[in-house]
Amino acid sequence: MNLASFPNVSIDFATSHLVFPMLVSILLGLLLVAILATRWRTIWGAFTTGPYWPAGIDQLRFFGTIALTVLYFLAMPQIGDLFPNEGYGFLIASIPFLFLMSLLYLHRRSRRQIVIAAINAAIAPTVVWYLLSTVFNLTLP
Amino acid sequence: MTRLITKLGLAAGLALVTATGGVAQELPKNLRVVIGSTSTGGDTYQAASFVADAMSKHFGINAKVDAVGPTEAFKAIARDTRGTTIMIHHDQSYLGHLYGVKGYEDIFATYKIGPTLTVNPGNAYLVPKKSPYNSMSDILEAAAKGTRIRVAIQPGGVSEIGFSALKNAAKIKSPGSEANIVPVNTGSQADKDQLLFDGQADVINGSVQSNEQYTRLPEDDQKAMRFIWLTAAHETLEQVNEKGLGETSREALMEYATPKASVTLDGKTDFTFDKDFFILYNKEIDPAIIAAVDAGLKEIYAEGAIGTSMKDAFFVPHFLPSTEAAAYLEKKRDDYKKVIEAIRQ
Amino acid sequence: MDFLSMITPLFLVLIFSGTVIGIIFGAVPGMTATMAVAVCLPLTYSLGLENGLALLLGLYVGGISGGLVPAILLNIPGTPSSIATTFDGYPMTQRGEGESALKIAIFASLFGGLFSLIVLYLFAPALADFAIQFSYVEKFLIIFLALTVMAALSSSMLIGIFSGVLGILVSLIGAYDVSVGGNGEYRLMFGFMEPYLSGGFSLLPVLIGVFGLSSILIEAAGGVPENEGAAKIALGHGKKFRLSIFRGEWSNLFRSASIGTFIGLLPGVGGSAASIMSYSQAKTFSKTPKEFGKGHPTGIVASEASNNGLTGGALVPLLSLGIPGDSTTAILIGAFTLQGIQVGPLFISGNLEIWNSMIVAMLFANIFMFAIMYFAIRHIAKIVTVPKYILLPIILMMCVVGSYTINYGIMFDVWTLLIFGLFGYLAYLIGLEIAPFIIGFILGPSAEIYFVKSLESFGTVSIFFTKSWIAGVLWLLIAASIGLSIWMSMAAGRHNDET
Repeated sequence: MNLASFPNVSIDFATSHLVFPMLVSILLGLLLVAILATRWRTIWGAFTTGPYWPAGIDQLRFFGTIALTVLYFLAMPQIGDLFPNEGYGFLIASIPFLFLMSLLYLHRRSRRQIVIAAINAAIAPTVVWYLLSTVFNLTLP
Repeated sequence: MTRLITKLGLAAGLALVTATGGVAQELPKNLRVVIGSTSTGGDTYQAASFVADAMSKHFGINAKVDAVGPTEAFKAIARDTRGTTIMIHHDQSYLGHLYGVKGYEDIFATYKIGPTLTVNPGNAYLVPKKSPYNSMSDILEAAAKGTRIRVAIQPGGVSEIGFSALKNAAKIKSPGSEANIVPVNTGSQADKDQLLFDGQADVINGSVQSNEQYTRLPEDDQKAMRFIWLTAAHETLEQVNEKGLGETSREALMEYATPKASVTLDGKTDFTFDKDFFILYNKEIDPAIIAAVDAGLKEIYAEGAIGTSMKDAFFVPHFLPSTEAAAYLEKKRDDYKKVIEAIRQ
Repeated sequence: MDFLSMITPLFLVLIFSGTVIGIIFGAVPGMTATMAVAVCLPLTYSLGLENGLALLLGLYVGGISGGLVPAILLNIPGTPSSIATTFDGYPMTQRGEGESALKIAIFASLFGGLFSLIVLYLFAPALADFAIQFSYVEKFLIIFLALTVMAALSSSMLIGIFSGVLGILVSLIGAYDVSVGGNGEYRLMFGFMEPYLSGGFSLLPVLIGVFGLSSILIEAAGGVPENEGAAKIALGHGKKFRLSIFRGEWSNLFRSASIGTFIGLLPGVGGSAASIMSYSQAKTFSKTPKEFGKGHPTGIVASEASNNGLTGGALVPLLSLGIPGDSTTAILIGAFTLQGIQVGPLFISGNLEIWNSMIVAMLFANIFMFAIMYFAIRHIAKIVTVPKYILLPIILMMCVVGSYTINYGIMFDVWTLLIFGLFGYLAYLIGLEIAPFIIGFILGPSAEIYFVKSLESFGTVSIFFTKSWIAGVLWLLIAASIGLSIWMSMAAGRHNDET
């Protein structure tokens, strides 16, 4: 972008993809400076006194959720690859994922609740898979 | 509960059977057809649906079209060596590479070219109804006299190739005048139309399908347009359904195409561009699948039903088996490469 | 009244089933009206055009409306166009007024839908001529106006704008999209990102990531407490719904429905801009702007009246120019081409019967939508009583399904969901504002293309002020919106000093 004779500007199509990101980055930088200038005390305070990670979170449930989700996402296409274009990757990966997530989130793991979780884990993905993959003919992993 | 588990077990077992039971020369039970467009209302989706539906019936499989767009479609077939995913796209797939658009590779080297399927003969150029230009030669003359002509296109492919040919013709007719033909780079058909309404473009790229009704508007309407050039080859237009499209007959359309409207390729022959739709496969795909698809499509086209429905939808059936298709498309690519290189400064 | 003869039982059944399926698609986080229309499009082959359109229009109206349910009850916009519904809908649910909020939203939706239908029926061709007066310049100003809501949405103006601008920057990652007129070159990327991000992050996974997945992570970090008492409160222990809520909302209803209809008219601007913009206008013209974001019914009315107003508006350019007004109508075009019917400036005059049947179908779709949702509310609202150990995993699974299917099967979109879920959680920790971020993300690409293309064609920045009277009006609205934000933040500042 040539700004030499503002307000007249000329934009070369070949480099036009950089114009807007550049303007937005500059604006973002200015805002960052403004934030630092007005709140540096709070920010500095947060940095120096810590804690860096919020204390008192439920480590098991938080990291368990992330770990299970990552495993779920990794497993889906792998399993799906064994049965191309059937959507079984989604179905087969979702059932244990739902069950384990429910177990993770349960506080009192009574027999009754575990059975409910198991039934839910079996039925919910199957219904979704049947509706989307078979009735609506959508592609699932 | 137990019944459900048995059912699931059965389903999984069935899946195993279908996955491993498919013999090489048979097509997969579930065929995913990815297309190089994200639109389910566009011509690529339409062309792919014709073929996918016909293949589903003929082979007794379930072929479904997924509009994932060019980058994802190329990636999908690059991943799948088993042939459970195939791609349907048009000339954009190699034109993108010729124009150096990011994300396009040389399809002839990277993928296996499958059969050609159909042609959309509708690629057109239009001017406002009140425009001083009545023909392509008017435009070329005006450019030679030093008038700047702005042409709205979507750069980097099918929409640009006619524009490149126009520049090339201007260069042949009067060297230097090609600089007076300038692109207005834009996106969708709506954007191109809008530039014409705003007076920001003198000529726009469009199509018979989406612009025909605009050519029927009265001249005092800001939206009124007129065809000035159809890039389709004469032989292609001859096969178009006689009624043409809307209220513009085939004969009327031929007025705007070669030989009546001439944009020269090399001073002797006219430039033409037919938008061909064809199949692309993974490079390592089992040749038996290619042969099966070729043979199946040959029968499907011979039956004729697919041709009729294509013609009703303003497509022209154009089936060439894989090997012929590859040679045909490579020749096409080489021709356009020359045009694009000729006008590159 | 020839067309009354086409109201056959089948016609009505199709509209009804379309509306029901549409509502379900809209209500499931991650599934959208666009997807509902796309999956049912092939069915219309065999139905014939009028009956096929009856089904698709039912899906369209139902899908746009269904999005309000998770927006209000779960704080997850079911569709991008219901994003502004979350701002006041979810606070009402937290206060125990979920059922009331749903009813307000449904009434507003019905109003918006019928309003835009009348406008469509009476003025379609004239409005199309008006819509083409909007070039890149005016469209940029509209997007800019919608962006000004960022400042007003946040508790701290500076942080809010920063988050919004960050959203714009993130939306620009990837190629400068050729299909809208860019040059296809990559920016803001490193080499390793190219195989995945050439098309940038797609909107829907980002949206449900920051709204859906991140709230699950926040729940998980808090130990997923099962608080049965609170769930019961959420069901109707707050203020009951009365129609009198709408007293004093008439101007808001008309303004929001008009904004929705009008944004629908403009090809490419899109539905989420409509709900965001009428929300910001409702705030600008409200006597109690400070109540917004804390469970103010006016905010819900604005958002829902406008996103249903979109339905009629988006059909105007489709039927009188042959150009779709939004992503759903872009698929509707397919229904016409598949049946060999051309849409363009002569469509309405040449196909009066189809046109009339579409209007009738839209009318019934709106009525059915209202009836179905109004009577199902009591049951729908119970979703908040489902124990979290069942509900959260299902929501997560549906988010995955929605992300994967939105672009017809792309695995990276599922990872996008996770990336932005984590981002949403981090943003919550360090105090970035999510709503402005997502607004910036939604509107960023259009802002870019309209801004850069305006300068490319006209070569001067002054064009934004001198292009037309429309630009002048838009600048006035922009000034009003910015002025209000500044006034509010100053008022809030004084308030803080006093206490």
